[in-house]
Amino acid sequence: MVRRKGTASLLLAGAAALAALAAFAAPPNRQGDVGADRERGREVYMKWCAGCHGDEGRGDGPAAEHLLPKPRDFTMALYQVRSTATGQLPLDEDILRVVNEGMPGSSMPGWKAVLSGAERAAVVRYLKTLSPDFAPATAPPAALSFGSAPRGGDAAALEGRDLYRRIECWKCHGDSGRGDGTSAPTLKDDLGNPIRAADLTQNWTFNGGGTAPDIYRVLRTGMDGTPMPSFGDLIEGRIITDEQLWRVAQYVRSLSPAEPPRARDVVRAARVEAGLPSGPDDSAWASVERYYYPLVGQVIVRPRWFAPMVSGLWVQALHDGRALALRVTWHDPSQSPDSSWNVWRARVAARMGADDSAAADSTPLPDRLAVQFPARLPAGLDRPYFLMGSVEEPVYLWSWESEPRSAVEATARGADRLEPLAGLTDSVATSSTYDHGEWRVQFTRALSTGDSTNQLEFVTGRPIPMAFYAWDGSNGETGARMAVGSWSAVYLAEPARASTYLSPAFAMLATAGLGLTVIWRAQRHRRKTTDDGTDIGTSEAE
Amino acid sequence: MSAPGTWASGIREALRHPFWQAVALLLGAYLLFEFGIALVPPLVGIKSAPIPASVLVQYMLTAVVGILLYVSDQEERWRRFKEPIRAALVDPNKRWIRAALLIVVPISAGFVTYRQVRPSVGAGAQLRSIHPAPPSTISFRGRTMTLAGLENLLRRSGDSAQHLATGRRVYYANCLPCHGDLLDGRGQYAHAFNPAPLSFADNGTIAQLTESYVFWRIAKGGRGLPREGTPWNSAMPAWEEFLTEDEIWSVIVFLYQHTGWKPRTWDEEGGGGAP
Repeated sequence: MVRRKGTASLLLAGAAALAALAAFAAPPNRQGDVGADRERGREVYMKWCAGCHGDEGRGDGPAAEHLLPKPRDFTMALYQVRSTATGQLPLDEDILRVVNEGMPGSSMPGWKAVLSGAERAAVVRYLKTLSPDFAPATAPPAALSFGSAPRGGDAAALEGRDLYRRIECWKCHGDSGRGDGTSAPTLKDDLGNPIRAADLTQNWTFNGGGTAPDIYRVLRTGMDGTPMPSFGDLIEGRIITDEQLWRVAQYVRSLSPAEPPRARDVVRAARVEAGLPSGPDDSAWASVERYYYPLVGQVIVRPRWFAPMVSGLWVQALHDGRALALRVTWHDPSQSPDSSWNVWRARVAARMGADDSAAADSTPLPDRLAVQFPARLPAGLDRPYFLMGSVEEPVYLWSWESEPRSAVEATARGADRLEPLAGLTDSVATSSTYDHGEWRVQFTRALSTGDSTNQLEFVTGRPIPMAFYAWDGSNGETGARMAVGSWSAVYLAEPARASTYLSPAFAMLATAGLGLTVIWRAQRHRRKTTDDGTDIGTSEAE
Repeated sequence: MSAPGTWASGIREALRHPFWQAVALLLGAYLLFEFGIALVPPLVGIKSAPIPASVLVQYMLTAVVGILLYVSDQEERWRRFKEPIRAALVDPNKRWIRAALLIVVPISAGFVTYRQVRPSVGAGAQLRSIHPAPPSTISFRGRTMTLAGLENLLRRSGDSAQHLATGRRVYYANCLPCHGDLLDGRGQYAHAFNPAPLSFADNGTIAQLTESYVFWRIAKGGRGLPREGTPWNSAMPAWEEFLTEDEIWSVIVFLYQHTGWKPRTWDEEGGGGAP
């Protein structure tokens, strides 16, 4: 499987290289052509790229203040994705690759479907004119030879894991790879922008691409302009071999699932008879299906938030006819409040455009997670407004905090009108664990609490709208500065009904009986007609 | 066992028989409905989707009736059509075919029934009108605006290059996260929202609308939708809280200029212009 994939990507890379060669085969050589070609590239650039990268290519377009990672400043000729040694300029193919495929984990999309091959080639040539480093006199950069991924089984994976520790990937990316290393809060790029240590368990967010060859390339060449170093010198110094660097890449790839997770509409809570799990680390959760729920910045009410730390969470649910248990898991590189992240928080506040001045505040903030339901089960398809309801249609929330570790029930009538339900004995029980960049929280509540005016009554057999919010205190997130998603739903399974199995059985019996009757009649008819000596074909009546 | 030539001639032979003709027609009809129809709209530049299952069932019923009419049209053809059916029911040497049918058909019936009665965990289709009828007037920052006949005055006053530059700045600073670099509704945040942000590049959005309609949608956002637009789900902000009236008209200028669509005008009966 792995080898087949490798071959496929090799073929793809070959095809891309051919296409690139074709596009660059005839570079303009006369003065007038150079000017016209640059103008063509500039036209494409100004229409499609300048909004983020700026009219002069300095990475300062109108979108930049709300983006993290920041758009590339082309005047510096610093490129993260290269097939050349660290400190070297990229090949034209390297720049074209990013133009074609975009940069996962950033707002840079791929342009293959929008721009023609000639337009993309022209814009690559134009980008190079924005920095004197690409002057025609300089020697063209040389591509490194990457070899190909070595094969190997469990032993190879173990070696990759050992090497991950030995070459100190964990310092930034953390022991479990969730981007929670001790150096993670201090990371910034060459321009002073905060930059996250990649969460290595989410390869769909890797700026340089998520395949093992992509990861190898990043390890080998580094991401220039960022704290991600090149490990090429370890190979040259014979400290590790090229094959060992491939092992690290393969190990890192193995930390992510084969395919990126996809959001689904409904979380199914199976019914269990043997009792609900006692906490988020109860082994009973291991066999319960996980549902991915994506989160993005809250950009609807002030203050908007464009740099959320939590990009999604996983939800699992079970019920036993009396209570509902919900397990929510998400990655957050810090257990807030954590003063070692103050430097990170200040840097984010300084570099992100904000609707108010509170972003620069440095009061310690906890991590938070809220689960939202409608305050009352909607009759039809109507629901409360997805962003914390409204005055007319409030929502009911379970709001959990990391410090002090507790959860309250609340009613919200809008994003700025969240009020804890007063005078209630806490009917929502929570149990939580922070472990190497991952929060795991279990919420448990009786399906019915006896206070149906304030608390939602859970029913089985129909989808109940559900949504989530997440806050990372170490990222300065509080109030409307949060990560949000849309209405999803939880469906509490009903006990199996007899009719579910009886109806198909009846249908099968009836069909079989009908079939037998038809055959029996046809055969009797044939016997009768042959006995009579009549011609079978024409006398048959049906 | 048999050379390709005999296979081909065998098939040709079978297709002269009305029963196998009917089977082939039915199969062809199914392939046409399921896959063929969806291939047509792209030929004229329209987005396409498979036809819904309920429509497929209707079409197939029509095809079955048509085919039965054809085979029963002539006495001789009808007789030959029934031959293989009767043979499968009575011929002693077709015993195994009978047994197989007696097993396969009831099991299929059971399976179809199970799929009908099993508990479904679907969230239910959210019927949603994408472009619901606009109100006659809106209140923009406390001022009443009549939408009917409302025009983008920036088209007739001031420096049009300046309006475009303003609109571009407003778009990239505010709209980009959801509507994206390609104006196709697939920005970095789009995957978390349902309904997904609209694509302006699509010929079914701003190309079909007047600028006043677009102004209403931008100013009032998702929450300003009437009930048939499922206002509780839309993540579109009410931009009157962030942008001035001129900024909204400017971003509208930018949207049309960048996509190449022409807004629908008030004296025009038909749809929008071509890019």
